[in-house]
Amino acid sequence: MIDSDVIVIGGGLAGLMAACVAVRRKEKVTVLTFGSGSLPLASGAIDFYNSKFPETAIKNLPVGHPYYRIGLPAIKDSINFLKDVTARANLPYTGDLSFQIPIVTAVGTLKYSTLIPESMDASLLGDVKKIFVVGIRGIKDFYPRMLVDNLKKYFSNADFNPVTFDLNLLGGRDINCMDAAQMIADNDELFINELKGLNATPEDAIIIPPVLGTTDNSTRVTVKTQLHAALIETTCLPPAPTGVRLQRALTKYLEDNGARIYKNANVFGGVVEENRITGVVTKNSVREKFYPARKFILATGGFYGGGIVMREFDKPHEPIFDLPVKYIVGEENWSNPKLFADKPQGFAATGIFVDSKMRPIDSDGQPLFENLHVIGANIGGKDFIHEKSLGGIAISSAYKAATI
Amino acid sequence: MSDNVKAIFSGDRCLSCTACMAACPVMAAIKDYRGPKLVAPAHGRLHFSQEDIEESLNYCSNCKSCDRACPSGVAISTMIMLQRAEYYKRNSHIRAEDMLAHTERMANTVRSMPFGVTLANIGMTLGQSLGVFSAMGITDKRNLPAYAEMSFKDKFPTIAQESSEKKVVLFTGCYINDNEPQIGEAFIKVMQANGYEVLIDREFKCCGSPLVANGFLDEARQHADNNVARILEWKEQGIPVVTPCTSCSLMLKEEYYELFDDEDMRRAGENVFDAFEFLEVLQQMDEFNYDLNDLNQKLLYHVPCHLKSQAIGLPAADILELIGGVTVKTANAGCCGMSGNYGFQKDKYDIAMKIGAKLFERVNKKDFDQVISDCHTCRIQIEHGTKIKPVHPIEILAQAYQFD
Ligand code: SF4
Ligand code: SF4
Repeated sequence: MIDSDVIVIGGGLAGLMAACVAVRRKEKVTVLTFGSGSLPLASGAIDFYNSKFPETAIKNLPVGHPYYRIGLPAIKDSINFLKDVTARANLPYTGDLSFQIPIVTAVGTLKYSTLIPESMDASLLGDVKKIFVVGIRGIKDFYPRMLVDNLKKYFSNADFNPVTFDLNLLGGRDINCMDAAQMIADNDELFINELKGLNATPEDAIIIPPVLGTTDNSTRVTVKTQLHAALIETTCLPPAPTGVRLQRALTKYLEDNGARIYKNANVFGGVVEENRITGVVTKNSVREKFYPARKFILATGGFYGGGIVMREFDKPHEPIFDLPVKYIVGEENWSNPKLFADKPQGFAATGIFVDSKMRPIDSDGQPLFENLHVIGANIGGKDFIHEKSLGGIAISSAYKAATI
Repeated sequence: MSDNVKAIFSGDRCLSCTACMAACPVMAAIKDYRGPKLVAPAHGRLHFSQEDIEESLNYCSNCKSCDRACPSGVAISTMIMLQRAEYYKRNSHIRAEDMLAHTERMANTVRSMPFGVTLANIGMTLGQSLGVFSAMGITDKRNLPAYAEMSFKDKFPTIAQESSEKKVVLFTGCYINDNEPQIGEAFIKVMQANGYEVLIDREFKCCGSPLVANGFLDEARQHADNNVARILEWKEQGIPVVTPCTSCSLMLKEEYYELFDDEDMRRAGENVFDAFEFLEVLQQMDEFNYDLNDLNQKLLYHVPCHLKSQAIGLPAADILELIGGVTVKTANAGCCGMSGNYGFQKDKYDIAMKIGAKLFERVNKKDFDQVISDCHTCRIQIEHGTKIKPVHPIEILAQAYQFD
């Protein structure tokens, strides 16, 4: 039977981050996951706030906002921590709170983010002469011509050149970026030769779908040393190699440092003694299992990850500890007809309210349990779609909860 | 096919998130396989009512990585196995599939002949060099596992045991019975040290895992009915059924129920334990014997896929770390690729080896004293890929209880 210092429930970005921070503090960590979490579906870029200057915007947020409770020092520390862990896994990340970095989407628009894999950094596109946009025969959902049409709106002075490589990936199933990334990691020769054939100069840039391997930066390093131009990966439809790489980097750090990751762990309840949680109980098809620990971090992903469920309308519910979930009353506020419209979503602000130690609080603002911390998309009081703060809240609340 | 099988309907919960595709090792290895999402939730539901079958489903190794990645609890691999059985209603098996699926029948035939074992072991080497197996569809690139001189069940009456009120039935599984009986003996040593007497039940048949994987579903059902009746009889006497083989335990605990949807199967599953899971229960009841020899060994643990799927944590790792001087590091290298008899099939050998490459690389770092794994096919694959012979964790624990 394992006695953990910290049990993290959830294996998405927030859960893995919290576990990494706890492991760095030499704690015995157990991560209980069900499903592979958000990362394989995500771009791996971590957005903090929808503003040109996220730091200034975050400083001006009202008292109830999760970022206010986390506090700027922890937010900054979380960025440095993630950069450090990813660098150790040979997956360097770049960026900080003072500015936003452009990345190219799969359709050729630009989006801005705060903390991104180095391979996606598109900052230099404004300064290059020629931009090659490279498609790969067989990959659907990546059309170099469409990317060029859209990118021209941003970089009207550049000379664009859409090309498609044939890397012999046809035959068999329709392939996606994950497949191509795997195949190129297995054998990069053909890809490198084609890239070299572009004769791109140091004043050019080459935009490619995210196909430079599925674990770390090693394929990119090999490819780059043989090219003169910058090489930029776009986002893509899921499953996304860039998100999978981040998941693998964090998981590797955990396993290398003795954390235990238990998959398929369907946590269905906690055991409470006065105002402390003493353990959680998982259930598989035939029996229950009790996991004791000193501290618990709930990173079950809010509405999107199943951490908050709604069996009855207007009664959102946290199924493991039955924590109070605050929500915006009234059906009319529940969903903005345009989910990705520019208006805040009532729905998305729903969640569990926490104190500055990320502990869930009651209606008087008092912590419900001394040793339970709630992080990531479970936290209420924000609209992360409108704010573009999901990733930032995930890693900074994780950092805060794990360092308490 | 009975249409009240719940697994098929679990496909309705699919969100099309693609997490299963990102997790499938066969998809990563070859591009002919169209993958879990397409074969199971997407096509699977249709194919039970239509004639056409997605042929590439024969590439699935039943490793269940997809199930563990799915956030919605879709019984992906089981849907694939059910469809494979449908496929074989219309297509005949090749001889390799027939032979590899019937491990138990083979062993019994061999043992019933004079000098059968010796001849069979020679025969297998000979068969290989003469190309007999290759003609049948079995790879000649690896040795078939050799039979032990005497099966565990035949040896059992000669193994001295202290009798006890507390009893467990050992479900040996084919491999421990026919190939590595010393694992059964180690299990007895461990249980005796913990005050238990070990019984066996000669009426048990092969759990059926190789039958299911090769599409012999009706036969697997017969085995299931036989074994479930036996397990329920033991359950009535209050005697648990315990097995050190993780594919057997997964089959007995949950796959019968998932495949055949019979309430008796679920009830029987409640009386089945993985060996270390059972020891952990003893710990929880304060009945575990902590009087262990120091061993001073660094162990590298390859966690079998079928153990991960059981959602019981890593009881072997936690218990072995109770031994003085023992540290257990998980290999964190994914599926070994072998997946039961998959890697013995001629047309799957290369896929199996490609999947295993990451694990071989990890093992070849040689930063440990021993490699451990609960699953015999994982052990066979590791030895084949690295020339390093792993042992079952129960063998290490038995050593620690050995005081002479
Ligand atoms: S069981 Fe394994 S091989 Fe089969 S689809 Fe799932 S992940 Fe792929
Ligand atoms: S992981 Fe589950 S929900 Fe996602 S696509 Fe696969 S089967 Fe569907």
